[in-house]
Amino acid sequence: MSGEEEENAVELKIGDEFLKAKCLMNCEVSLIFEHKYEHLQQVSEDPMNQVSQVFEKSLQYVKRFSRYKNPDVVQQVREYPLSFFSFVRVYMPYDFDRILSRHQLTEFELCVLCNLCPKTAEEAVAMVPSLKTKGRAHSDEVIEKMLNDLSLVKRFE
Amino acid sequence: MFLKVELPWNVMIPAESMDAKGLMLKRTILIQLLEAFASKRATKELGYYLTVTSLDKIGEGKIREHTGEVMFPVVFSGMTFKIFKGEILEGVVHKVLKHGVFMRCGPVENVYLSHMKMPDYKYLPGENPIFMNEKMSRIQVDTLVRFVVIGTKWMEVEKEFQALASLEGDYLGPISEE
Repeated sequence: MSGEEEENAVELKIGDEFLKAKCLMNCEVSLIFEHKYEHLQQVSEDPMNQVSQVFEKSLQYVKRFSRYKNPDVVQQVREYPLSFFSFVRVYMPYDFDRILSRHQLTEFELCVLCNLCPKTAEEAVAMVPSLKTKGRAHSDEVIEKMLNDLSLVKRFE
Repeated sequence: MFLKVELPWNVMIPAESMDAKGLMLKRTILIQLLEAFASKRATKELGYYLTVTSLDKIGEGKIREHTGEVMFPVVFSGMTFKIFKGEILEGVVHKVLKHGVFMRCGPVENVYLSHMKMPDYKYLPGENPIFMNEKMSRIQVDTLVRFVVIGTKWMEVEKEFQALASLEGDYLGPISEE
């Protein structure tokens, strides 16, 4: 198997089958699951009946593998209005949507980066090889800037 | 990768439940949807069905003549988990064998990492068997491992995914828990 084939396999499979799909980071899933439990308790007398074994396993997984713990930070980053900053030069670090568009990342790439939290540009490219392909050819400098953006979010936790 | 998807669905409400109106009916529809969703388990296209996040649209009910059930076409948002070839993930080792280890990743129970894909790691048998390399890095039960997915398999009958992993690549291998 060639490296190129694999990175394309990941991107293509997302593109073709999931036009109306969005990727979620482990930390977002963790929040959604917590809210789910609360909601289910209101809707049903037996909430455990409404969740499956795969839900349980996934819940355990995201609890262990979430890199961003603060729910306020996680919620802010997804909902932060992009338009507010379209004419503002001041850089606001805690904005995943802005990071997405500023660095031309796909949802999939952003989620992998946020799940794995690479420390250097080299590690980031190893985790998401497509950063260096698909016509964007991000330089190491640009990638380091991106990682810096993401790590600043963490510092607000 | 966890995915948020928007899906159409036909919810069947038995005739007995049709006395309820308004909010009670909506609640009945939601509960039926949740049960049907939970029993679906997984599909090849979308992966494991985890949970419904919102009920977005409820269409007009149509009576099924033979059974007296009412069918409501709905649109809902839900969350699934699918494992992709080429994706880099983190998982937990739950079984160590001579030829490799099995890891759990999200709802996927069996991600297999063959010893042939663990460069420089050697099997050390014992009551608690481990794989260890020259730098004393260990892979054993409950070790967290970052790996690349080199293959996936969908099993139609069991409605399960299996995956093959590899540590061949930079920055892959055991990781420490934060």
